[in-house]
Amino acid sequence: MKATALFLFLAVGLSAATIVEPPAPVRASVAAPAARPAPLPAFSAPVPPRTIVQDADTRRAAYLARVGEVLAWKAKLADIRFPVTFDASAVCAKLARREDPAVCSRRVIELMKNPGTGPFWMFPAVGMAYLGRDQLSPEAKAAIRAAWGSVMQVRGDTENHWAMYYTSLYLMAQLYPNEPGSSWYTGKSSEENLAEARDYLVHWMDITTTIGQGEFNPTGYITEYAIPMLFLSTWARDPAMRIRGRMTLDWLFADLAANTLNGELRGSNARTVDASVVEHWRDHASFYSWLLFGNIPPNPSFGGFGVYFASAAANYELPEVIYRIAVDRDGDYVQRDLKRTRRRWRHSDVLAAPIYKTSYMRRNYAVGSYQGGVADPIQTHTWDVTWAVPDPRGVTNTMFSMHPVSSPYDLQTYFAESPDSMIPAMVAERKPTYDLPDKFLGSSRFERVFQDRDTVIALYDIPPGTRFPHINGFFSKFLSGVTQDKSGWIFARGGNAYLAYRPLAAYEWRPTPKGDRRLYSPHLKNGTIVQAADAGEFADLAAFGRAIAALRLAYSLEPVPTVSMRTLRGRDVVFTYGRTPVVDGVPVDYSKWKLYEGPYLNAEKGSRRLTITHGSLRRVLDFNTLTISDSVTSGR
Amino acid sequence: MAPPVRFLLALAAAFPAALANAAIPAHDMVVSVLAGPAFVVGTKSAFESGLFRRGPDGSFHHFGLDFPGTFGISVDPRDSRVFYVASLNGCLITRDGGLTWRIGTSWDMTEPQDVRVDPNSPDTVYIALPDGVAQSKDRGVTWTRRERGLPERGKYTQAIEIDRNRAGRVLAGCETGIYLTENAGRSWRRVLPTSETVTDIEQSPHDPRRWMAATQADGLVQSRDGGLTWRPVAGVPSAKCLYNVAFDPTNPRRIAVGSWTYGVLTTEDGGATWADRNAGLPAGHCVYRVGVDPDSGRLYAGVHQVSLYQSGDFGRTWTPDGLPQSRIYRFNFVPAAR
Repeated sequence: MKATALFLFLAVGLSAATIVEPPAPVRASVAAPAARPAPLPAFSAPVPPRTIVQDADTRRAAYLARVGEVLAWKAKLADIRFPVTFDASAVCAKLARREDPAVCSRRVIELMKNPGTGPFWMFPAVGMAYLGRDQLSPEAKAAIRAAWGSVMQVRGDTENHWAMYYTSLYLMAQLYPNEPGSSWYTGKSSEENLAEARDYLVHWMDITTTIGQGEFNPTGYITEYAIPMLFLSTWARDPAMRIRGRMTLDWLFADLAANTLNGELRGSNARTVDASVVEHWRDHASFYSWLLFGNIPPNPSFGGFGVYFASAAANYELPEVIYRIAVDRDGDYVQRDLKRTRRRWRHSDVLAAPIYKTSYMRRNYAVGSYQGGVADPIQTHTWDVTWAVPDPRGVTNTMFSMHPVSSPYDLQTYFAESPDSMIPAMVAERKPTYDLPDKFLGSSRFERVFQDRDTVIALYDIPPGTRFPHINGFFSKFLSGVTQDKSGWIFARGGNAYLAYRPLAAYEWRPTPKGDRRLYSPHLKNGTIVQAADAGEFADLAAFGRAIAALRLAYSLEPVPTVSMRTLRGRDVVFTYGRTPVVDGVPVDYSKWKLYEGPYLNAEKGSRRLTITHGSLRRVLDFNTLTISDSVTSGR
Repeated sequence: MAPPVRFLLALAAAFPAALANAAIPAHDMVVSVLAGPAFVVGTKSAFESGLFRRGPDGSFHHFGLDFPGTFGISVDPRDSRVFYVASLNGCLITRDGGLTWRIGTSWDMTEPQDVRVDPNSPDTVYIALPDGVAQSKDRGVTWTRRERGLPERGKYTQAIEIDRNRAGRVLAGCETGIYLTENAGRSWRRVLPTSETVTDIEQSPHDPRRWMAATQADGLVQSRDGGLTWRPVAGVPSAKCLYNVAFDPTNPRRIAVGSWTYGVLTTEDGGATWADRNAGLPAGHCVYRVGVDPDSGRLYAGVHQVSLYQSGDFGRTWTPDGLPQSRIYRFNFVPAAR
């Protein structure tokens, strides 16, 4: 096959952050005295206890201890004899620990001889420049500065690229003021760079706080927002930009807290990857849950990029209200959020379409979705049910269905690209499953979803001629008691959750490479109903099955899929593909959807103001006035 | 660029007969190229991408930025050291032949696909943006959106071309059709609706009233009245994307079209009949761009990630011609830098 060229303006993700360990030292011929084994890094250690830490000082100390662990781990791996181990993140870790400045200076000079291009090079360079202000040699600092004049940095084309790019440009322009355009790769003066970067960042914060984040709840890309916002909040001299960075971090982490089940970020997600769409733990979000909430092991090697966050993490203090949202799963809650799609260049009446997101959280499982359609052309995950597990590492604790899409039309909607080269390029590069029919990653224009608490109805109306004319349902090997009932439902148990899955068209089972199963249903008009419940609500799985089978359910697939049913929670739902869902006779009014609405996060659309609440604690992030307001209500 | 002149003069002195066959070309070929495999933001490419200029020995020399996202190119007719490059980062500008560059646009204008200097008013420059059209009247220092009359949605713009004979007339190839302004961008009107993106628009070098446009899903179209009305060109398939059209400046009867699916299509009778000219090109075609040398009439085809190919007989035979593993976004023939 001919290789293809295409700008895949997609974050590098884990591959760029791979931690390379140095070669093992040659074993000495004389037996050394038995050494005390080093403690395992947190990603290999037992699951941290999920007890809620009540004392603020203890929480802070534990947070700083985790930060310290990351830095110590990375610093220990760095060996100047093996330059591959001494990358930019190692320099940042060492500088943050204030060790080996001379060695770091030498390494920086080496690294700057061949600067990279783009935001993934820029923010590490910023980290080194700022952490090394009082440690690096003048030659090393000059090398960093020179690199910002010699190589045109690629800005990229995604929201996360631009957050990194413009935060980095802002901070470097601030560090070197009053310098002419000839000294910067942009050809613009320090002041011009600073102004452009500030304008974009303010614009991005403005749309995020009025119509929602585009790359919402990203399992991996969260790090590409968290790091620049931490850097901005730490190093911006302008108090307005500093507090904007701080408020945006709080905003991101509040969103993370409300959407995690024991630290696992589950669906829906604007962007995720093949591995973490089924094994939610395996992505950067777990690093942040571990670091901030302490309730889950971090992903392997702290996600690589986690080192950069850790290098300045002492400058961030998680508000207690966010911590408690993350760790308190005593009460069930529904959270509804407004987000937006990626920018649509073509094929759309709007530049960014609204995403109506629903999340239902319980102690033992969580259900999340948005209304269907394409939020992002490659990596969106539209809905799932995820159950709690004691240790999420290696566990595919989720269930969902999806329509696998491979479509130049969809790609052209979001990319300024030509139709023919894109799919081969996706396959050749970092999205190898994009054109595979058995994938579980991606969203579809031909899927519509409605969720009411722990009921999800997903309907499909796939036009004839579509490249992959089927839907895939994910059935984990960690399910137990999987039963194909004569009623048409499939019952199973996942952890302490009971799950019922109702395919609306004929299907067959296909194996997956890792031992899970794929429910393959090759019918264009199709649908899935999933109903979840806590195991404690029924005597056993059979009793749950009887209750589900007894629910009123009527459906048809022609002319378009439609379902009329009573949910396990007693709601009468009528949902027809392409039409507004009706609950208990009342159409769902999406026009009234708020930016955030739930017990913990609340914001009006267009408000630029988020209220974060837990118990008596309240924090208001107001981007209109650039104020953070904390309050505690009385216990009366 | 003195060395080529010296080289040719020396050649002529040594081999007088060669002089007749090796007249000094009036134009240099400049191409915008993505070299090597697909570029992913965050990776470091081992290949140099950006602008390449063809030397007198036929080899290509990279100049200016090593940048993976360069698309359209336009040169100031008054000064061939002034390049405007539509790029991933916005409109890049050099005024010294590529030694120094400035990103002329700001964050609010991203990923222009095409750029054109107005030959009637060379301080004026247009860029084709994924969300419309912008214009600079001060050589790229400041930019203003010029979108009155373009649809609120459907103004993804892939191509822009300026009428060299009538000031203020510009044609833009958008998602929803071809749009014309006759007042330098103050207002636009649609002169041809299309079902998908217009990928290229060209004005005939022989007849300024004749224009042709390639489209993604509506075939090849042409206008004989300066772009006011358009008709499909018979004999050119329309089911799949046509990427560009190129007139032969040396022969008014010769026109070429490049297409991923159809490869190279040519006419040598002014468009009455068309021939498939893919013999000698790699199987599968994957032609992303064609161009015609205005001095020699040589036909070039950029075969996606394979090579540049050239033909001295307008597509009957082809030979590889450098730039291996590249994607050629544009052929430009700029006044020779001597």
